[in-house]
Amino acid sequence: MTFLRTFKLSLRVKFVVAIAIMLVIGMAMISSYLIDHQARGFERELEAKGTTIAKMIALNAESGVMFGASFQLEEVLASLENFEAIQYAVVRDTADLILAEFGERHGPMEPMERRQESPENASTCQWVTDANRNELICFFADVTTVTEALGREQLGMTGSAEDHKQIRTIGTVELGLHTTAYTEALSAAKRAATFLTIIILIFAIAMVTVIVSAITRPVTHLVGITSKVAQGDLSQQVEINQRDEFGQLADSFNRMIDSLRQSREEIEDYNRTLEEKIVDRTRQLEEAQQQLIQSEKMGAIGQLAAGVAHELNNPLGGILGFAQFALEKLRKLTPDKVTAKDIDGYIRYVGDIEVQARRCKAIVQNLLRFSRSSNASEFHEVEINAAIEQTLQFVAHQAQLNQITIETDLAPNLPPLQGNTSALQQVFTNLLINAMHASDSGATLTVISRFSPAVGEFGGAVELLFIDNGKGIPKEHLGKIFEPFFTTKELGKGTGLGLSVSYGIIKDHGGEITVSSVVGTGTTFTIVLPVQNRSHLTDTFREPAASPQR
Amino acid sequence: MARVLVIDDSPIMREFIEATLLDLGHDVVAVSTGEDGIAYLRDESFDLCICDMHLPRMSGYDVLTAMSPEDTLDKWLFTDSMPDHNAEKIRSQGNYAYLRKPFELEQLRSELHRLLIPTTSDIK
Repeated sequence: MTFLRTFKLSLRVKFVVAIAIMLVIGMAMISSYLIDHQARGFERELEAKGTTIAKMIALNAESGVMFGASFQLEEVLASLENFEAIQYAVVRDTADLILAEFGERHGPMEPMERRQESPENASTCQWVTDANRNELICFFADVTTVTEALGREQLGMTGSAEDHKQIRTIGTVELGLHTTAYTEALSAAKRAATFLTIIILIFAIAMVTVIVSAITRPVTHLVGITSKVAQGDLSQQVEINQRDEFGQLADSFNRMIDSLRQSREEIEDYNRTLEEKIVDRTRQLEEAQQQLIQSEKMGAIGQLAAGVAHELNNPLGGILGFAQFALEKLRKLTPDKVTAKDIDGYIRYVGDIEVQARRCKAIVQNLLRFSRSSNASEFHEVEINAAIEQTLQFVAHQAQLNQITIETDLAPNLPPLQGNTSALQQVFTNLLINAMHASDSGATLTVISRFSPAVGEFGGAVELLFIDNGKGIPKEHLGKIFEPFFTTKELGKGTGLGLSVSYGIIKDHGGEITVSSVVGTGTTFTIVLPVQNRSHLTDTFREPAASPQR
Repeated sequence: MARVLVIDDSPIMREFIEATLLDLGHDVVAVSTGEDGIAYLRDESFDLCICDMHLPRMSGYDVLTAMSPEDTLDKWLFTDSMPDHNAEKIRSQGNYAYLRKPFELEQLRSELHRLLIPTTSDIK
């Protein structure tokens, strides 16, 4: 079945088989007609021959029959020995009595069905089969004699003597010719015809094969090339150097392959450059994004650093100035000239120096605490209120400059959170500085922290609210403010990353940051940070199993 | 003997500058806000104004530009605890004296000395 299914008749085989079948049928029909025609000729010849012989015997047998002279008849019949085809000959009288016989007659005779005598000879012959199943043609001829009419005068007849002559049948001749020679001749003719047919067929098939091959060779070549092309090998070329339709087809096909190859090369080239471009642009974009995120971090750090510098440089200036001032005075002083007023003055100078030095110490400690964990992905226990208060210290100066009051309502005994203080403080700084930018002088900023036991998966959550009574955020901006690069600040003033970075940091903490705002009334940012440390929970709230979120 | 206006929101710096000026025998008025300083500058006459760049609500640059062109005061000493774009603006306005905090006592004294030397225009 598989073989049948996979076996494909090539064009050449189809052509040859079809032409061979047509030739066989044609030759068979022609041969059959010719043989039949020839057979009819033989038959007629045979019938005519037999008829003649039978008539000849009948002619020669006239006297023998008339006189019942069997010996004479035997002699007549003996002359038939020269005719090989004669099976038998019988001469009978009118009483059907055999007068002479030649050869052997094996009666009874059956008329042959498959072969009929020719119509013109139907009265004198018949194709029969004898008792020995030999095929014979039987011929019948009447033995006649011409007699003078007896007693003609008596009958009163007048006229010439011829008028009185009478042809009278006195016996019959039956002649049997066997058909062996005829059959053999016919067989020979058939063999010759068959042989000829086969010769012509072979010759014709050979010719057809050659012609068909000449026609199908370019087609086969074309098919081979096409299948290679279909498999993607566009380097193929059809090589048919003919100036006919195949040559034209080959030219067209080659042109088609050429344009296909060109198109494919263009597409491949385009794809390659496109891929390269995409990779390149993606890398550039990633770099730019990283740089922006970094610059946003640096921006926040820079803002803090400036605040810190301002905070530090004023007391340092005082310390330096008063120390130098006091030192200078003291150097000029002699022990005998020291007054109580001088001592008071120096105590005041040195006291100022001490106060300012302590202030510097506190600032530096805060700064160190703030930047202790530079790796924002490192999580540790975070005291959220302390983190908020530290941040407030850093923005306090800016708030003071902008005449903004910062109020806090921090719930005591908040559960510690797992997180990164530095990262969270970056978020708080962002929110506080944004709020200050949005507020006018005299505005109030409120920071609230509280515990929400019902929020969060395991241990509730800490909620932080940053409330300002500033300009507010228009509705159309509210949905976009956490998107990267969204900024309402003038060009160059903000990267538009502050809130998106904040959003990312809060997400990293498993928390949520949301905003609600009314234009003209103010804005509230709400941060929800889930509590993962469950040690503070009562037994009733405790879950049987929990995996840490990060 | 000159009359100097000190504008600084940091009490310790105000106190230190004031003490230095008094020690040199100058007359000093010290205020903590830009608004107060502008009010003094409009009402009274000063030989020099020592002004901090970072004041509540306004910068030293704002104080400078708030002065009307008729004001004759052209001697300014700006002090600054952190560099920012206002310092650039000040520099673009003219050749003003500028001290970065924390500065040495001697630096302050030499700036005062340079700024308060009686010029030919002062000797009438």
